[in-house]
Amino acid sequence: MKALLIRLGELMQSVAQWTGGVARLFWVMLLRGPKQPVGLEDIAYQIIRQGVMSGAIATLVSGFIGMILAWQFGDALMDFNAKQALGNTSAIALVRELVPATLAITAGAKMAAGMAAELGSMKVTEQIDAIAALGADPIKKLVWPRVVSSMTGLPLLTVWGNMVAMLGGMFIADSVFDVPAMYFYQTYVEELAPIDYLGSIIKATVFGAIVGTIGCYHGFNTKFGTEAVGHATTETVVATSICVIVADFLLTMMFVQL
Amino acid sequence: MNTSQPVFDLQSISKAFGKKAVYSNMSLRVKDGETLTIIGGSGEGKSVCLRMMIGLLYPDRGDVLFKGQSVLDMSSEQLRDLRTRVAMVFQGGALFDSMTVFENVSFALREHTDMSEEQMHARSEECLTMVGLDASIMDHMPASLSGGMKKRVALARSIAIKPEVILYDEPTTGLDPSNSNRIGEMIMKLQKELGVTSVVVTHDMTVAFGVSDRIAVLLKKQFPHVGTPDEIRSIEAPEVRDFIEGRTYENGA
Repeated sequence: MKALLIRLGELMQSVAQWTGGVARLFWVMLLRGPKQPVGLEDIAYQIIRQGVMSGAIATLVSGFIGMILAWQFGDALMDFNAKQALGNTSAIALVRELVPATLAITAGAKMAAGMAAELGSMKVTEQIDAIAALGADPIKKLVWPRVVSSMTGLPLLTVWGNMVAMLGGMFIADSVFDVPAMYFYQTYVEELAPIDYLGSIIKATVFGAIVGTIGCYHGFNTKFGTEAVGHATTETVVATSICVIVADFLLTMMFVQL
Repeated sequence: MNTSQPVFDLQSISKAFGKKAVYSNMSLRVKDGETLTIIGGSGEGKSVCLRMMIGLLYPDRGDVLFKGQSVLDMSSEQLRDLRTRVAMVFQGGALFDSMTVFENVSFALREHTDMSEEQMHARSEECLTMVGLDASIMDHMPASLSGGMKKRVALARSIAIKPEVILYDEPTTGLDPSNSNRIGEMIMKLQKELGVTSVVVTHDMTVAFGVSDRIAVLLKKQFPHVGTPDEIRSIEAPEVRDFIEGRTYENGA
């Protein structure tokens, strides 16, 4: 029992240390990043690298999520003879919840893992120390453009994903449940208020901050050796997924009360 | 050699990583214009000493002074200034592998000066020539260079901004004897031509005795022996003799 409590205490301590470390990195980045020069070139490069290169995965995931959800809802609504409500029901679930969260866990985790692996490799080959030794700030040079790019890239992917998911749902509604595509589209759009779109983008921005900061934090804290880089990458994917889900819950709670 | 204020003055330094103590009440002075070489066994903290000099690591106790000013009390702006005056050449070169040789060499120029692309190009070319490399490698990626070339590009990167002090972390590790000699000659040439102060961390006794004005021997978390190469050669202490004659501490000597 005592050993279990000690283990629990150690676990809580490491979670607290990790949370503090990630929060501190984000805070320091906010303080140093916006200083001149802002580094627009680096940010644009990272947006293309992290965001645009995730376009294919975002399209695929969003399309399938839209189709799966429409099929599930359609099947359930058929029991109540309410298949005409397919557009209304799908809209809320996809825009408010499924597209931003799923993209954060797939495309976002890919971005975070890429950052952890890249920065981890730089750490073990002393490149991060070399940046500092040359009088530059590694947080400004490496963390700032990556976090800004994920905070920009993920919302853009979410906007795109929302559209693709709607098209996926529309396809299933028309082809499987015989709900006309235009009718699906009208009911889909009618159901959504501006706050739903805004909420979707705000969620994606917060998820982007989580993804970028956790990826960079694990990269910067990689121990020595190539095995450590793999370890950092795996930890990043797990941590990103958990944090996105927890943040999603908190944000949903907040938006529902608005 | 100037005997005035030391460039670096490490005072009563203690440093530990977890339970492993690396330094205990260690002191060391680096004089202006000299080449000081630090020798000692693997994993005993020689590189830690260099990192403390430019604020990449901080001691648990004691102080590190650069020309009389505490590195520990420096603001981020002052640290930035320190790192433009004190360059470090890392063990593996630590070249930025996503950048070309030119981008690597001109990194500090881009960061700290208003030079135009042409001026940076000219300066990078000059630095590469100084370390014996051809300017035609400017567009190469570091992955396509040999180990010796990487070290020399790293050296060119460190001298691009004209530092007052260069810290070399194991500059010859992993190189064949011919390349090791070339790096040793380069260190002497840069000291002579640029008048820089150099601190070299190495296992390579040929380089240590060849390039140094003074040698500091790291033993038992301190530098008990600091002297000219001849003074170090004449030390009778068995642990020093074992090290310079190539008998390793790992065998329990």
